[in-house]
Amino acid sequence: MLGTLRKIADGLIGLSAFVGTLGLVFVTGVVLVDVIGRTFVSPLAGAQDYTQMGMVIIVFGGMALCDKLGGHVSVDIFERSFPPRFNHVLDVLAAILGAAIFVGIAYTVYDSSKLSQMLGLATNIVALPKWYFQWALSVMALITALGMILRAVELTLTGWDARAEKEIRE
Amino acid sequence: MSGEMIGLVGMLVLLVLLVLRFPVALSMFAVGFVGIWVLRDLNSAMSLMASESFTLASSAELVVVPLFILMGNVASVTGMSASLYDAAYAIIGRLRGGLASATVLGCAGFAALSGSSVASALTMGKVSMSQMDRFNYDNRLSTGVVAAGGTLGILIPPSTGFVIYAILTQQSIGRLFLAGVLPGLLMLAMFIATISIMCWIWPHFGPKGPKTTMGEKAQKLISALPVLLVVILTIGGIYTGIFSPTEASAVGAGLVILIASLQGKLTFRRFWEAAKDSVVTTATVMLILIAAHMINPFLALTHIPALVGDFLAGLDVGPIAILALILLTYLVLGCFLEGFAMLVLTMPIYFPVIMQLGLDPIWFGVLVVLTLEMGLISPPVGVNVFIVKSVARDVPLARIFAGVTPFWFAMLATLILLVAFPQIVLILPDTMMQ
Amino acid sequence: EELSFAHFAAPTHTLTGSVIEPLNEGVSADTDGELTVRAYPGGELGKGPLEQYVRVVQGVADIVWGLPGYTSSQFQKTMIAEMPGVIPDGEPGYPGIWAAMDEIKSEFPATKPLAVWTSEPNIFIMKDVEVRTPADLEGLKMRVAGSTSASMIEALGATPVQMPAGEIYNALQTGLIDGVVTGASAVTDFKLSEVANSYTVGAPLGRLTFYVVMNQSRYDGLSDEMKAAIDAHSGESLSQSAEEAWNRVAEETIAGLEADSSKTVITLSDEEAAAFGELTSPVTQATVDEIGGQAALEAMQAAYE
Ligand code: NA
Ligand code: NA
Repeated sequence: MLGTLRKIADGLIGLSAFVGTLGLVFVTGVVLVDVIGRTFVSPLAGAQDYTQMGMVIIVFGGMALCDKLGGHVSVDIFERSFPPRFNHVLDVLAAILGAAIFVGIAYTVYDSSKLSQMLGLATNIVALPKWYFQWALSVMALITALGMILRAVELTLTGWDARAEKEIRE
Repeated sequence: MSGEMIGLVGMLVLLVLLVLRFPVALSMFAVGFVGIWVLRDLNSAMSLMASESFTLASSAELVVVPLFILMGNVASVTGMSASLYDAAYAIIGRLRGGLASATVLGCAGFAALSGSSVASALTMGKVSMSQMDRFNYDNRLSTGVVAAGGTLGILIPPSTGFVIYAILTQQSIGRLFLAGVLPGLLMLAMFIATISIMCWIWPHFGPKGPKTTMGEKAQKLISALPVLLVVILTIGGIYTGIFSPTEASAVGAGLVILIASLQGKLTFRRFWEAAKDSVVTTATVMLILIAAHMINPFLALTHIPALVGDFLAGLDVGPIAILALILLTYLVLGCFLEGFAMLVLTMPIYFPVIMQLGLDPIWFGVLVVLTLEMGLISPPVGVNVFIVKSVARDVPLARIFAGVTPFWFAMLATLILLVAFPQIVLILPDTMMQ
Repeated sequence: EELSFAHFAAPTHTLTGSVIEPLNEGVSADTDGELTVRAYPGGELGKGPLEQYVRVVQGVADIVWGLPGYTSSQFQKTMIAEMPGVIPDGEPGYPGIWAAMDEIKSEFPATKPLAVWTSEPNIFIMKDVEVRTPADLEGLKMRVAGSTSASMIEALGATPVQMPAGEIYNALQTGLIDGVVTGASAVTDFKLSEVANSYTVGAPLGRLTFYVVMNQSRYDGLSDEMKAAIDAHSGESLSQSAEEAWNRVAEETIAGLEADSSKTVITLSDEEAAAFGELTSPVTQATVDEIGGQAALEAMQAAYE
């Protein structure tokens, strides 16, 4: 059961990071095309619009994977002076706090997207609807929260910490 | 309970959460959220959670964060950083701590390109830390150098810190930029002196390299040319108005990708891994920045900054004593808050006091920005230290803070020098702009 | 009770003396200090001008100041007042806007507009280029904020460049852009006089609009006496106070530039200005047609007949 959940979660986390990486490649391209275009022909209309909304995808796309890799910085100065059981409890609590915050982000940003729809908010030059990107942010925040909840459960039931399993990198 | 008390309790809770190893960003998020809830209402706290997350995440200026990391990552995986450090090692490796000094010089160069210390620390961290590892430098020195060197980013123009100060206080941006140059160079010299002293006391921090011939030096330098070319083109492009400092991040990344591909060193898979890693590091950094902006409205609602300002304005002591007290409050607040948030919160209160005392606003601006920079490397909330940690995940935070401490004192010494000799700050703006 | 007033400018900004202080003094006097207004400047209650309207609707602040131009998709009809040729030359903009309030009120849902006004007329703020005719703009790079100003710049033959306001100074300095079209008060706000040396006044380039709005349910929840106090000190009178202050800053700025020997200030004759108008007026009509804003346009212009 836990194993299946972990597989699903890892799949979603990977997918989210994939989309975030695509976002980064896209934004790099947009800025370059804009700079080169401005120098030689004409700038890319709405380059700043694409950059802003692309940033949302980049920033929250990597959030879940960042958490899974233990990338969120914490003050580890006192770790060794705490007893192992206490550290274990702290890890569980941190995962729960994180999940609560990311569920909060997902919910409030989704809630805010309704207001964006009502006001018809869109970017200034090429009118990208703001709420699409708020939805994307919400979904990615939920995936992050899911990863954290699962880690809390795994830590409690089996003592296994997903963050220990680092990806193999070149 | 009064707003001020709630503010103090909030800071105390933040400290406890940090000591208990809760991730920094989550701790700041939680304290900011609950604080706003208590001082105002749940609705406001939830609304700010949404708006700060989205506003920061969709900031066009902050695109430098993922793009400079991408540039650093690609430079690292393709061996471009290595060739740069090989050259530096061949040239000044004989000196104890030579590579660390070269890194600080690199930070100063990068500072001329970027207006933010976060971008400086991130990029230089990606480029230099594993390289100093390779030559057996102690990781306290290598991380400390990058965390501290990154702070040059907002002292040496262009600088976002000066732009914000100028707009808040109606001062000249041009004069502030000029005023930052000599203090920036002075701090650079102090950092290099610090490295030399550290390596003299603890020789294993930055071990001496072997002797190299002129031929070897030249050969290493030639293989580092592509990287140097990227740096020159990027800085040149900014100063000739082809692109903005923000866009320079994409140009730098694009050039590094192009050159590495032409050299056949960058496969698609490697590029994708580097990009994915950039996205992950971006998440770390941006979550800290978002969380710092949750603390900001909380503190505004406590009215603590106004209280402190009123207190200082009512004191019956000399101008330098008040200046010292103001800088001291920045040092203390800097332990908890992100630098720019602090400027916005405090400048409306402090600035009139400074004007009343007849102190030079440009001089004050430089002193404040330098003090804010010290906050970036002072525990417990040292944003630059966290940035370096996000790049050097294996180095314990305690070691980074230990490594950065001598540099903190070097900054303090610089600050004292600037207070004692205002000419260092004012000579350039006074001679070059009426 | 205290109403929080959130904005993103410095506390010394024109807004403080022309809007926040009169509003605060007015309502406190009428309610014997029962109701006051407290400013949270510099984005203290949340970063960035783009979320100002959302902030007031969601109740983070009770009152906010903002620019329709930052979220132009929401304020299409209000922003007709910004377009070249809509507000007659030399006339204040707020009477037109308030005359059209029935037409544009739907763009301010869940809030009560306390003041809506226009800035001083836009001018050309240039580095090393003297603009006297549209031909002088040919091929130049000009910073724009929104799609209407982008169309206007294109109509004049220049290339529109989009960038955050905070980057204008650097971009002018390095030559990334040749100029900006905006109100003269921006010269002071963003220190542009340090980097721009040529200013052209008098071309029909439109203006900017501003709003100050209050959360509607917060207003509804106040006592009748408090509501009356707010009503008495907002609306057209507050808008007038703001607009006059904006114009004063602009006049002082231009006078300062004229007195400065290192700056050129070009004031266009009616004929010269008309050459620009021929190119910019079609943009106004095209945009009004596109957004279905004919009724709002007519209501605004009726105020000046
Ligand atoms: Na800089
Ligand atoms: Na700090």
